[in-house]
Amino acid sequence: MSSALIDVSGAEKGIEALDLVGLAEDVYDIIKDIHDPEKPETLEELNVVSEEGITVEPFHNNETYLIRIQFTPTVPQCSLATLIGLCIRVKLERSLPYKHKLDIVITEGSHSTREDTMKQINDKERVAAAMENPNLKELVEQCIKDSDY
Amino acid sequence: MASKFSGALQLTDLDDFITPSQECIKPVKIEKKPTKTGAIKIGIDGSYLELGQDGSEYKLEKAKITLNDCLACSGCITSAESVLITQQSQDELYRILEENKNLDTQQGSADKKKTVVVSVCPQSRASLAAKYKIGIVEAAQRINGFFKRLGVDLVFDTSFSREFSLIESGKEFIRRYKARDTQKSAIPMLASACPGWICYAEKTHGSYILPYISTTKSPQQIMGSLVKDYLAKRHGKTPDQIYHVTVMPCYDKKLEASRQDFYNDVYRTRDVDCVISTGEVDKMLDVEGISLVDVEPCKEPCDSLFSPQSNELYGHPGGGSGGYLEHVYKYAAQELFGTHIGHLSYKTLRNQDFKEVTLEVDGKEELKFALAYGFRNIQNIVQKIKRGKCQYHFVEIMACPSGCLNGGGQLRPDDGESSKELLQRVDELYNSLETRTPFQSNDIHQLYEDWLGGSDTEKAQHMLHTQYHEVEKMTSALNLKW
Amino acid sequence: MTEAMLNLVCTLQGHLDRAWNVAWNPTGTLLASCGGDKAVRIWGKEGDKWVCKTVLQDGHQRTIRSVAWSPCGNFLASCSFDATVCIWDKRQGDFECMATLEGHENEVKRVAWSASGHLMATCSRDKSVWIWEFDDDEEFECASVLSAHSQDVKFVTWHPHKDILASASYDDTIKFFKEEEDDWTCFDTLDSHDSTVWSLSFDKTGERLVSCSDDKTVKFWQEYLPDNPQGVATSGSDPKWKCVCTLSGYHSRTIYDVCWCHQTGLVATACGDDAIRVFQEEPNSDKHQPSFNLAVTVNKAHSQDVNSISWNPKIPALLASCSDDGDVKIWQWEQKS
Repeated sequence: MSSALIDVSGAEKGIEALDLVGLAEDVYDIIKDIHDPEKPETLEELNVVSEEGITVEPFHNNETYLIRIQFTPTVPQCSLATLIGLCIRVKLERSLPYKHKLDIVITEGSHSTREDTMKQINDKERVAAAMENPNLKELVEQCIKDSDY
Repeated sequence: MASKFSGALQLTDLDDFITPSQECIKPVKIEKKPTKTGAIKIGIDGSYLELGQDGSEYKLEKAKITLNDCLACSGCITSAESVLITQQSQDELYRILEENKNLDTQQGSADKKKTVVVSVCPQSRASLAAKYKIGIVEAAQRINGFFKRLGVDLVFDTSFSREFSLIESGKEFIRRYKARDTQKSAIPMLASACPGWICYAEKTHGSYILPYISTTKSPQQIMGSLVKDYLAKRHGKTPDQIYHVTVMPCYDKKLEASRQDFYNDVYRTRDVDCVISTGEVDKMLDVEGISLVDVEPCKEPCDSLFSPQSNELYGHPGGGSGGYLEHVYKYAAQELFGTHIGHLSYKTLRNQDFKEVTLEVDGKEELKFALAYGFRNIQNIVQKIKRGKCQYHFVEIMACPSGCLNGGGQLRPDDGESSKELLQRVDELYNSLETRTPFQSNDIHQLYEDWLGGSDTEKAQHMLHTQYHEVEKMTSALNLKW
Repeated sequence: MTEAMLNLVCTLQGHLDRAWNVAWNPTGTLLASCGGDKAVRIWGKEGDKWVCKTVLQDGHQRTIRSVAWSPCGNFLASCSFDATVCIWDKRQGDFECMATLEGHENEVKRVAWSASGHLMATCSRDKSVWIWEFDDDEEFECASVLSAHSQDVKFVTWHPHKDILASASYDDTIKFFKEEEDDWTCFDTLDSHDSTVWSLSFDKTGERLVSCSDDKTVKFWQEYLPDNPQGVATSGSDPKWKCVCTLSGYHSRTIYDVCWCHQTGLVATACGDDAIRVFQEEPNSDKHQPSFNLAVTVNKAHSQDVNSISWNPKIPALLASCSDDGDVKIWQWEQKS
């Protein structure tokens, strides 16, 4: 299936495509200020996430959306890539006002255990169990809380 | 790579995908030296070179994780395995022997040579005898010959140090049994000779199981005390001038030898410097290009640590894992109830690796002992203790199914033979020796006096007993595996 | 041409978090469900209506991942992310927690009773499968710890009438275990899935198995005994399981559960695309090369991922499902010719 962002033939679909771009921007706004688990900077400041790395497609005749987020760990051996994935997933689930499906991918070639890390952060059972671990939960909460201005 | 540790240990490792080298999360302490420029360049060989202001290059040391770091960490066990391979292997023994040879050729350096001692356990000997289809005494003579040929100075049998383990276990049991009404964790007493079990208990069950474990050191570690204390003094050497190797049926013994408790801070040396498995001895034979049956045998099966008469091989009754249950049971029956026990009749429970034996006096069950080998049976004992439902007074616990003769470091069957058939032969060879009870030997009594100044002295406590440490669960979320 | 439908009988609300698993009791009169709210809910019929009969709380500290009834129907086992398994005894009417089984290092994902009721299996993220014996003193003892999988074990299920266990894992494989002498050993490994295998279901004969996976396929497996006429190679006296049919292209997200109805032969799937699908075997299909047709798709069966699905063991073609949306639903299959 081709992306709805490109597949714009009619006027109606054009509006839809704009909506989808808007939705992708919303998603980016939610995740960009997540803090790196080890550093003071945000994922945006570290170029871990970017607007181009986010796509939104309609799912189930526009009733829900399929969101795909691509991120790039700072170094290929980054042992915290799974934690970053966890933060993105949790923050989005809490902040998005509508039902969605989420796939998180790691930029190809940017991580030494890319496939394994992606498998783990997209396994909802593992994510659910991780968030019941008090130590992990606390860390994730710290990373995803809104910064004070 | 398949892990060679016992099943109990493998289970304590939980990581899901990170390869061992990346898996280790133990922060490493690095000696900081003041630097001038702070510039670092990477050498052609991949090493890191620090650049001095004058342009000189200084090779930076790699951060190393020691086995002690691994043991003190509640993280993985697989990393420990790769660390072991570099720190405790036949290569280390070869390196020391090579150094000795080089010192021989340098004038005036002969006194820097280390005395190399190898202590062979009876289970490893039985495994090698089974593979080469020779008798147990012949195997011992040829193993002795093999090590001597490589330049080893002394070859001992750990059955000797096991006598101390058995005697101390018996005495400790009597002490605990008598205190059982006032001291909650006195009974059941759990055997301590299996390092896989100890490591699992420390990492997983911590404070509520450790007090039940016997404080008596294993035969390997008592051999360590004998060699590095008694033997060293007799030879006028310091502990670090002796290099002590043991040959053991399991890899977990390498972890035991590396424990901080068995490290001498003053001389920076361990009681057992290096543990090599039965399989690694067989590999050494391969390297030398010789079969054990072609090795020139020594006249004696082993050297004597004490009196020259005492180098005959013997065993202890009660099976291939050391006979702890049998000795403690007989000793306790005699000491506590004046009952002499000749033969023990075991009742097999859930499986072959779980048996019990009961002493009834006037219709009352006074002693109830069990053998529990393998992880599943360990689990049931641990859970029963946890729920206050364990009815045993003593449990001989071993991590490997079928016990030490089936240890992970033992030789695997050749084509055409099943593991079970091989184990049967190893068992027969192991039990082919005359057995004796530990108290039969005059040497032991003499050593208690000469070496330890009596049987209940502070020195005896220090040389023959140890302690266990709960490994705290990791809480840093950055390192948690999920 | 026949037309099939899955009609919604009722929606059962009560879970305060995602619902992970549903399980019918052996007589099909009670449905147990569990989830992220750390509670087990027992649903039953009052008159024509399905209602919540009781809620079991305080058994677990974390998410209850799955529940299973003993074949006698007197006991319910629940397992949790808190690494424990609770056994609930309902002989006195209300459910009383009679035992808590510890031993797994972390999340227990699935619990299953054998057909005899004397054996129970559990699996965990700690990569191990445990077999427990339930003896006449009603004590549970560990009979085996199997470390055959290299990753998180997601699912275990017993053969419908033999003491044969099948497990499915995050390591993408399915494994079979049997008792040999006095321990359990793995005798077959099926590795044709490309990602996590989430669930398994035997047909009523136990000669066929269906599996579902994160690779978005459903696979059917056939047991081949030694010296089978089809010439499938076996080893020793052990049977060999072979994939005889793969359904791909039907599911657009991870398939979390699959259930083979022992009365009707229908196969239902629970999918991360919010849909429930029912597959029907073609009449006269060759079991060595079977064909299954998609008979029904219920899109938006739930408003989020469907996590579990279960055919009633007595009432033909009555289906229960549950979802991340917290709802439990009961469906009736209907076919008009």
